[in-house]
Amino acid sequence: MLPCRLMSSGNAAATIRQSPGGPSSLALLRQGITDILSRRRLIRYLTAADMKKRGSDTILGNLWWILDPLLQLVVYVIFVSIIAAKPAPDYPLFIFASIVPWKWFASVVQDASTSVVGAGLLIRQIAFPKIVLPLATASAGVVGFLWGLVPLFGLILLHPHRLSLMLVWFPVIAFVQFVFTLAVAVVVSASNVFFRDLGNALGHALRLWWFLSPGLFSLQNLEQTKFVQANPIVGTLAALNPFAVLFEAYRAVIYGAPGGAAGTTHPPDLVALGGLLLASIVLLALCITFFKRVEPEFAKVL
Amino acid sequence: MSPGNQYAVKAVDLGVRYNLRFNRKTTVRTSVANFVLRRPPQRFWALRHVSIELSHGESLGVIGPNGAGKSTLLQVLAGIMRPSEGTVDVRGQVSGLLGLGAGFDPELSGVENILLGGAFLGLDDGLVHELLPSIVEFADLGDFIEAPLKTYSAGMRARLGFAIATAVDPDILLLDEVLATGDANFRAKSKERVIELVKAAKAVVLVTHDMEWVVEYCNRALLLEHGRVILEGDPNEVVKLHLDRTAAEAEARRAAALAAGLDPAVAARGGGRR
Repeated sequence: MLPCRLMSSGNAAATIRQSPGGPSSLALLRQGITDILSRRRLIRYLTAADMKKRGSDTILGNLWWILDPLLQLVVYVIFVSIIAAKPAPDYPLFIFASIVPWKWFASVVQDASTSVVGAGLLIRQIAFPKIVLPLATASAGVVGFLWGLVPLFGLILLHPHRLSLMLVWFPVIAFVQFVFTLAVAVVVSASNVFFRDLGNALGHALRLWWFLSPGLFSLQNLEQTKFVQANPIVGTLAALNPFAVLFEAYRAVIYGAPGGAAGTTHPPDLVALGGLLLASIVLLALCITFFKRVEPEFAKVL
Repeated sequence: MSPGNQYAVKAVDLGVRYNLRFNRKTTVRTSVANFVLRRPPQRFWALRHVSIELSHGESLGVIGPNGAGKSTLLQVLAGIMRPSEGTVDVRGQVSGLLGLGAGFDPELSGVENILLGGAFLGLDDGLVHELLPSIVEFADLGDFIEAPLKTYSAGMRARLGFAIATAVDPDILLLDEVLATGDANFRAKSKERVIELVKAAKAVVLVTHDMEWVVEYCNRALLLEHGRVILEGDPNEVVKLHLDRTAAEAEARRAAALAAGLDPAVAARGGGRR
């Protein structure tokens, strides 16, 4: 027969005491952080399961992470060569520095939107902190992104005159993006429980966000357009876009100055990047609080 | 804990309200429409004014027709759902066999599901690895234990789920219709295991349609209908009342159908529902 014993784990609460009415926001945030820290192993297992599902633990499964950005690159290069008379020199590298990070963000947000809903059956059967679900999605996204770096660094090596030590900034920029992505993933995963058509809207919102962000063009390009010169407020707003900060930063260390001259790679705008990191941390705290506040309703709605 | 205050489960004036505005089909579109058309929020009490107190060593059988709120009660006790009113106090390690047969991830193998299940239940990693051989043995799935869960039959999945959920001996055991899983062989084996757990647990709450089980193994019973407590007390009395009420309702339905059959005009006016 099975050995019988009490759970020796300190993870699960030994006592449940529940009453209606929510605790304060600060208590919710603290609880959310405790959930995440105490369930790291569950997040790790879920991440591994997620990767296994999409086959990204095999090279073949990851082929799409490599091919997809490359195919996108071809499309945009053709597209921009047709509508723009003279794209920036080494244009493929120029846009690839934003295509790969964007694919990371967009795929995590899309996957996060179904992370809680997809676990509906489990949520109705077991009491566990649901916040591990979007976190696992975000972690699995990091692994996908690492595969996406293969073609990116391949392309960088094809442009040796742009290769510089500035690439040491790359992980720093990626970390800022990760914090921001995590916040969006957490809020999207919870919202989709209540509004099931959010996934549809999300696809369109992401596409719009991509084209409004300086990925295929630089902020400098944007500022030179007649429209923005007539309405400087638009330029200011565009610069406040988190992905304006991120894309400009990636481009600074991978490609160089927007003018296109080789050997102009430079450190990213640390004030903007630091500001974005700070804002992302605050946003993440707000999103975790929101998640914890609506979490008790999940079992009823799903 | 003072000796005079040794309850394991205590619920006072428990109520669970569902807001039907948000369900699995809610979309932004319908929500905007509801808001614009000023439709009042639809609410529904799955449970209301339910108070139970269970001491250590007691076993409570919860019975009632479908949709009476039995499973909702277990979900609240398990901490899956937060009550809309009233308070719940559960002292000790809770383990629930709620809706078995799901497994955790269809893409993962049996062994991986056991590890994942242990992580979901918040078990210590060392403990899960220690329990692993006995869980595998109890599930008795042969070579399938290394195959993805999606290749399992429903019965095999239920066996694995049962083996995971009962691997650990809890203080408070919540059971939801667990005896109706698997083939006859496994059913006998699982019944034995449940009896073992019931004996070891400090308190048991069991939802079932098996009246014999309630009379035999529970020292108290609770009859729920439409989320309200009808009767709570001695299992024999509660089961008898439930059977009487079920019979009376079936009788009323038969009479109504008969009336409808004899007189179509009555049926057309909705005479089928009394």
